[in-house]
Amino acid sequence: MNKFWTVVGFTLKNKFRGKAFLVTTLIIALIMTIGINLPYIFSQFNSGDKVTSIGYIQSAQSEGSATGDQLKAYFEAQEKPGVKLVPYEDKGSEAENEKQLKQAITDKDIKGYLAFGKMTDSGFPEMTYKSEKLLAFQLTSSIQSGLQVIRQGTVLKDAGLTSEQLALLNAPIEIQSVQISATEGAGSIGEGKTPEEQAVNMGLVYFIVILLFMAIMITGQMIASEITAEKSSRVMELLITSVSPLKQMFGKIVGMFLVGLIQITIYVLVIIINVKLPHNSETLIKFNIDLSQIDPMLLIYSVLFYLTGYFLFATLFAAVGSIVSRTEDLGQAVLPITMLSLAGFYISIFSISSPDSMLVKISSFIPFFSPFVMLLRLGLTDPPVWEIIASIGLLLVTIYISVWISAKIYRTGVLMYGKRPTFKELRKAMKAYKI
Amino acid sequence: MNMNPLKVENVVKQYGEKTAVNGISFEVSEGEIYGLLGANGAGKTTTMRMVLGLIYPDEGKILYNGKGYSNDQLSNLGYLPEERGLYPKVRISDQLVYLGQLRGMSKRDAEQSLKKWLDRFEVPEYYNKKIEELSKGNQQKIGFIASVIHSPKIVILDEAFSGLDPVNVELLKSTVKELRDAGSSILFSTHRMEHVEELCRNITILHRSNVVLKGNLKDIKKQFPKERVLLNTPKEVTGLERINGVTNVIRHEYGYEIGIANEAAGADILRHALTQTDITRFEIKEPTLNEIFIKTVGGDSHE
Repeated sequence: MNKFWTVVGFTLKNKFRGKAFLVTTLIIALIMTIGINLPYIFSQFNSGDKVTSIGYIQSAQSEGSATGDQLKAYFEAQEKPGVKLVPYEDKGSEAENEKQLKQAITDKDIKGYLAFGKMTDSGFPEMTYKSEKLLAFQLTSSIQSGLQVIRQGTVLKDAGLTSEQLALLNAPIEIQSVQISATEGAGSIGEGKTPEEQAVNMGLVYFIVILLFMAIMITGQMIASEITAEKSSRVMELLITSVSPLKQMFGKIVGMFLVGLIQITIYVLVIIINVKLPHNSETLIKFNIDLSQIDPMLLIYSVLFYLTGYFLFATLFAAVGSIVSRTEDLGQAVLPITMLSLAGFYISIFSISSPDSMLVKISSFIPFFSPFVMLLRLGLTDPPVWEIIASIGLLLVTIYISVWISAKIYRTGVLMYGKRPTFKELRKAMKAYKI
Repeated sequence: MNMNPLKVENVVKQYGEKTAVNGISFEVSEGEIYGLLGANGAGKTTTMRMVLGLIYPDEGKILYNGKGYSNDQLSNLGYLPEERGLYPKVRISDQLVYLGQLRGMSKRDAEQSLKKWLDRFEVPEYYNKKIEELSKGNQQKIGFIASVIHSPKIVILDEAFSGLDPVNVELLKSTVKELRDAGSSILFSTHRMEHVEELCRNITILHRSNVVLKGNLKDIKKQFPKERVLLNTPKEVTGLERINGVTNVIRHEYGYEIGIANEAAGADILRHALTQTDITRFEIKEPTLNEIFIKTVGGDSHE
């Protein structure tokens, strides 16, 4: 056991001493900080600038100008108008008017202007919004909805409704959805999940699934490449004559796991610190996100699936790393494992809107996918307890088998140089070695 | 009971169709350096790897103090591989202490032992350096330290002196002798016969996976006839090649090297030379190991 911790310690020490590790950790932490602060930074840039000014020609002759006045009044009446209409004097001719408005755009007084045409059946004239920008959908739709309200107002007024009736007509209709489970679920039983909880849990599931995937990819690659490097530099011959392969392999895996854990802890701390900053927490409240709504059971399951998923893939990466003799060949050799983890990751991410599909149900029992997929089911639905136990049980059995095979491959593989060993040779050698 | 630290019995190893080692047996006693000789690809490294437990023999057995291989044995073994294996980018102090710890030393003992060895090799400043910063010869010294830092009972040195300058060869040789005198059993392989003659008591010569010669170095030499005479004289000696039993005569700056078919011819040469001049040196030479090696392995020793 002592030697095992010696290997763990050595792995940790070397990683932390390496400049590459420090630099990547810092860069990712920096990117995270920027990412979290981005909404705030944007809001700083946009404040006050949010109102788009639109010009129109105010004249007695044009029918359209009345519509313009109505819109102006409508947007001015709003609490936080996104649009402001700016009237311009009629210069007499269409060409002159256009010139005047274009000048206003160049002067940055307005973003664009509305041109009115003939009267239509809708009760409003033909309208064209002219601006330098492409695709001003948001603007046209807010003008559209404004016009609709105006029209509704006029029509209803003509119908002679009282103001109470008007208010009733305009009152919003709400529908709430709560996710429940018909049978006993594994999560917080019976209570069901409100939309807010669902949103927060969905966020957590996303977060953990991405985290697990990253941990598997990054640490897995590191484990495999370290073992290959030890093999190609022949340190392996010294190591394998000093300590049993199983201790060696697991020392490396656990060491790397701790490295990854420390890295993730740093990232999580960076996130928490950033989120707790006063300006950011305001933004969070604005988005209606309350982190205290996370289901504690989900957190426990997350940790469980994170650990099992990590160890399953890590042992495979170690085995592959021990078969390859040169670091250049490693990328190709780890491809199957990468694909395997990618598959689980994608099933989980793309099923986030349909966590009840057959694909999700089946793959939540397949050991290589279940860490990703079962987590999705746990977060978004309430799967029966036995299914979760079965899934974890299958995972543990697979890990046990994978550890055993990987240790055998490791013991055999680290001494095979040159050509790739044939399956027969590998099997014969594996039989000979005790772990 | 007198049990040798290392005993190899009829060990056979096959790689697929090819037999790498075909029935080798030897014993190394305490405080002995055992020489394993052979051309490239003769099976030396395979034999050493089997002794280390890196690979398992297909037949035969290897006993350590009378016991079979187990993980408990590991801390008694020290190994200097032919391709020097160390972490290129890790500090020497870190990795050697690590290797020492893996073989059951405490951290403090390993540090002390490393410092002691670096002083012994007169390179204490390497303590905080990285392997990649050192020259090849110096890397080899560190590799040697890595193999003996835990004072192992059995040391296996594969081509320990290759790539070293004469000064460092002497340094390493004297260290190996110290280890021997301290009671370690050393299995030693090399191409350099003069090192074997200086260090080893018993040897095995392997040729194409087979043992062709084995035993005590002195006995082996006795088996081979003395075939050369060295003769140094102040003046020229004529008519040497006409003496009965002389096969060839080579003239060197310092004198003559004369090949003889039997030892009796030596006396005739001495008598013949004395009639012509004084003699400063006369020697009937034992065959060198180099000659024995070439004779047994033959001219086809290099593939």
